[in-house]
Amino acid sequence: MPEAPPLEVRGLTKRFGSTTAVDELSFAIEPGRITGFLGPNGAGKTTTLRMLLGLVHPSAGQALVRGVPYRKLDDPVRTVGAVLEASSFHPARSGRNHLRVVATAAGIPRERVDATLELVELSDTARRRVRTYSLGMRQRLSVAAALLGDPQLLVLDEPANGLDPEGIRWLRNFLRSFAGGGGTVFISSHVLGEIAQLADEVVIIHKARLVAHEPLAALTARTAGGTIVRSPDANRLREQLAAGGIEATSGEDGELRVAAPPERVGEAAAAAGIVLHELRAESASLEEAFLELTGGDE
Amino acid sequence: MRLVSAELLKLRTTRLLLWLGLLILGLEVLVIALHVSQNSVSELAQARSQRDVVSIAAVSALISLILGIVASAGEFANGTIGHTFLVAPVRERVAAAKLVAVAFAGAVLAFAACVFAWALAALLLKARSVPVHLGSGSSLRLVAGIVLAAAIAGALGVGYGSLLRRQTAAIVVALVWLLVGEPLLGIASADPYGPGRVIASVVEAGNQGSELLSFDRGLVLALIYLAVAGVLGTLAFRRADIT
Ligand SMILES: Nc1ncnc2c1ncn2[C@@H]1O[C@H](COP(=O)(O)OP(=O)(O)OP(=O)(O)O)[C@@H](O)[C@H]1O
Ligand SMILES: [Mg+2]
Repeated sequence: MPEAPPLEVRGLTKRFGSTTAVDELSFAIEPGRITGFLGPNGAGKTTTLRMLLGLVHPSAGQALVRGVPYRKLDDPVRTVGAVLEASSFHPARSGRNHLRVVATAAGIPRERVDATLELVELSDTARRRVRTYSLGMRQRLSVAAALLGDPQLLVLDEPANGLDPEGIRWLRNFLRSFAGGGGTVFISSHVLGEIAQLADEVVIIHKARLVAHEPLAALTARTAGGTIVRSPDANRLREQLAAGGIEATSGEDGELRVAAPPERVGEAAAAAGIVLHELRAESASLEEAFLELTGGDE
Repeated sequence: MRLVSAELLKLRTTRLLLWLGLLILGLEVLVIALHVSQNSVSELAQARSQRDVVSIAAVSALISLILGIVASAGEFANGTIGHTFLVAPVRERVAAAKLVAVAFAGAVLAFAACVFAWALAALLLKARSVPVHLGSGSSLRLVAGIVLAAAIAGALGVGYGSLLRRQTAAIVVALVWLLVGEPLLGIASADPYGPGRVIASVVEAGNQGSELLSFDRGLVLALIYLAVAGVLGTLAFRRADIT
């Protein structure tokens, strides 16, 4: 039997009363890679992650961790580390005691608590009550709790919220080295920029539904694909491109917008001996591609 | 077992136990000092009266109930329940661990409350040169009754708190029930069967007046209440979406 994917959802659906938060979602993520989970606010990311973590019951479908529902895992804390969105702690309990509670419940040796605090650079504040922590410190405490069991799989829900640029850099480097060591990361965000520098793959959802699951490079290619070309012989160029299966539309000033990279357009023009006055890549950002995927109908 | 230790650690790592303990101490000092100073020496000299002084420690059963509510519903109020279920996704086990942990913590709290009440009463009685008869069998049964009642009340609080999942509302409803709801049962002459009175009959441990159930019947009924609250609370725990 092939090894089950680290995380998989099949026909996953969640309804809260009349709201459908997640609708027939299916995808599986690859081991040893960083997969970004993207979607605008309210798309259903948190709900999906919480179903994967056994915190929310699906209305239909399955949410599986290594092929089984979270609840059936033998040793959840050593299998998957989770950073919940806006994680809350008991305000009067110290960060270190919070970790001790988790460690006690999971049968993790106490030394590991201090080692983990060291790892997230929280040793100095760990004995203070969480009430006195900044948002960034709480985030680090969440990360520490996720790492306590030394899992090979991390699930993070908007972990960058509340972190300063230094904290974000720290997190990014940490996740890279975690994945470099063979770990799998599934990280959600509503900001593509955060994920673009980190992820190998992206799963994009919008309004509770899957809109794309592809390598980051493919998402990048969607934007890199466009070309603007100007030619005195625009009509013939368009026919020439159409013959090669490439679509081109007329823009202003006799420009053509072509859905292919500049190299292809240049080659097609040269093959037909068509003069070009201008040939440039359309400069759309990743953000625009993301918006196009997720906001097209608004 | 690990989950029970974790629950006990949770109880110990906030200030909750400290405050509840201080609350009990304060009440005991107040009530015992008043009782000893207001009554005549001849009345205080009766074993029955001395036993009644110590019975203020029974307030720890109520405190234990609140402890149980905070241990269960409080996790939803603070949002820590997500962490708890991540470590222990089989929620029935969490519910069981909480029941056991709070029953134990409640019993310890109640025992400490009894010891303190006993010592304070003895001290104040001596100060008024009243012969002390606190070692009587009925006093010892009272201590056993209070400890048992606090354990049951604590576990009951866990079940009930898991069912409501709203800490403040659960505490307010419980207090209103004990102060207003249960006396109203008297209209239907059903008052000895209310959960509060039933637990009181456990406290009184065979010393009760006619208005309470006997110890045996009280204990059985208290355990039935506990079982119902425990099962309903566990089911509510299982069903909850932690969003
Ligand atoms: N407990 C709940 N009761 C009712 N509706 C809910 C509940 N939790 C989430 N929803 C709804 O489900 C939808 C998806 O919410 P979710 O939190 O999963 O989105 P998200 O992608 O994580 O958004 P964000 O980027 O803002 O974190 C939203 O419309 C939200 O209002
Ligand atoms: Mg979210």
